[in-house]
Amino acid sequence: MNSGDVMSRIVEIRDLKKSYEDGNIKALNGISLDIEEGEFVSIIGPSGSGKSTLLNMLGALDIADSGSIRVAGYDLKENKKLNVFRGDKIGFVFQLHNLIPNISVCENVEIPMYTQGLSSKDMRKRSLELLDEVGLKDKADIRPTKLSGGERQRVAIARALANNPSIILADEPTGSLDSKTSNRILELLINLHKEEKVTLIVVTHDMEVAKLADRIIEVLDGKIINAEDGTLLENKIRVEN
Amino acid sequence: MSFLSLIIKNPFRNKSRALLAIIGIGIGIATIIALGAITEGMISSADDTLRAGGSDFTVSGKVEGESSQMVGFGTSSFDDDYVDKLANVSGVDRAVPIYMTLLMTKNSPYFAVIGMNPSDYKIAELTITDGRMYKDGTDEIVLGKIAADNEEKEVGDTILLDDKEFDIVGIYESGNSYQDQGGFTSLDNSQKLSDDEGKVSTIYIKVDKDADVETVEKRIDDEYGDNLTTISSLSDLDMVKNMIDMLNGASLAISILAVVIGAVGIINTMLTSVYERTRELGVLKAVGWSDGKILLMIIGESIVITIVAGIIGSIAGIIGVELIVLSNIMPLLTPIYTVNIFVQAFSIALFVGIIGGIYPALKAVKLPPTEALRYE
Repeated sequence: MNSGDVMSRIVEIRDLKKSYEDGNIKALNGISLDIEEGEFVSIIGPSGSGKSTLLNMLGALDIADSGSIRVAGYDLKENKKLNVFRGDKIGFVFQLHNLIPNISVCENVEIPMYTQGLSSKDMRKRSLELLDEVGLKDKADIRPTKLSGGERQRVAIARALANNPSIILADEPTGSLDSKTSNRILELLINLHKEEKVTLIVVTHDMEVAKLADRIIEVLDGKIINAEDGTLLENKIRVEN
Repeated sequence: MSFLSLIIKNPFRNKSRALLAIIGIGIGIATIIALGAITEGMISSADDTLRAGGSDFTVSGKVEGESSQMVGFGTSSFDDDYVDKLANVSGVDRAVPIYMTLLMTKNSPYFAVIGMNPSDYKIAELTITDGRMYKDGTDEIVLGKIAADNEEKEVGDTILLDDKEFDIVGIYESGNSYQDQGGFTSLDNSQKLSDDEGKVSTIYIKVDKDADVETVEKRIDDEYGDNLTTISSLSDLDMVKNMIDMLNGASLAISILAVVIGAVGIINTMLTSVYERTRELGVLKAVGWSDGKILLMIIGESIVITIVAGIIGSIAGIIGVELIVLSNIMPLLTPIYTVNIFVQAFSIALFVGIIGGIYPALKAVKLPPTEALRYE
């Protein structure tokens, strides 16, 4: 990405720290990071490095101990209505799709829309549009249990897009899929990112997946390090790809 | 899909678990409905018996001790001199002597023989549907519709009561199950059946048109209160009162038990459901659902189960009571289903639903989303 591009900053993190078990486990140990609107960023690192904790912080699923974090105009350390932020600004895609088994594919995509005060008719209309985008409109009225793993993940992506989020946060979105299906899911995510101009942040431990991003951020022991040479880049905000 | 549809669908993901919870609560609701209908029936039946016909109040003999509780049901008797005495009390239009006795017949354990002068039949509000009224000085009897069916008798047949044969000359309906399961004959006949000649068990009092019932009642109480007792309402009857208190007490105890057992059952069901759906609840939080909405959903699901249990329990309760009626285990039972019974049952169902849903719902809300999403 060229530093000369005029883009607004959608993520602004400064010296973010988070520890668990009375400070014994330092999940995030002073992370500073900026992400521009419309960027595709991948966060890589080994298990326990803090990459998922960072993603949870970005989606306001977890609260930091210290430092500051602003996402899509929300101060996530001060704001109390984090569910509103999540509903309006974030679309999550998890490693496991976590679809509700007893309702239809279409109804699963409608789930985030319950926060938006839409009528049942409008919810279904929007849901069908999204399922069309992910190529599953013909399976709208069947149960997710009848779908393959890849199809379920596509439903989960449609669900993530339900409320026109500013950012899609994907935690190992291809982690439970075979390589052929993985490629299709990644292709879908990247196309949506480009078409909808939505910021895409993907946590992965797969370097092949990470390389598809505009920028790779490597996390180790709760800190951001340079992806190429492993040099510690404490206090350095941007990591050029 | 509306939020309400989601709430209605969710409890039935695991159908066998939902069904077990519904059966558990439904049994409590069925018992509440059945006991309620039986109690209401008994109250109404006792009330009808007391007010038999167009009397304003009844007078019975006063007996000290335990047996006083049986007053009004024809098991205690007093001298028939009082009939004339009461007829002469100021404000009394008519004093109608009645002698009631319960006999056992071939087909019925409780056959009420009610002795009354045939000229007084209007006060008993009998409608002769077949044949005619009995005559004084004969062995004639008229049978209630239910008694005629039970005994398989019709006009022209005879019936054996306590080794004495009576000619059935008419069939009547009074709308009072107690009376319709027995028969009316002359005062003389019923007294003889109990070897209790010169006695009556009850006197029906009809006051003058312009007289005040309470004033007349007080006059009788003042003058004959030592030996007689006036009964104008159910609450005057210790026996009936005690019985209804007992049934109401049993109803209350069962309602409390139903609430406790139902609440424990539904808490268990909903907690299991919440644990099973931990990841899903994490997703709901991740997509922006507020704690309030999740709380509402879980409590709503709990209420759906208890309301379904309320409906099924009510139907089961009615079927149960009707089976008791059909089997003739309680021959005098005429159940009455009032709106109040169903309101009470559904209020309990709703209460159990809310109480049973709160704890699991709070558990669901308190789950940190990150932990919920990691849950295996």
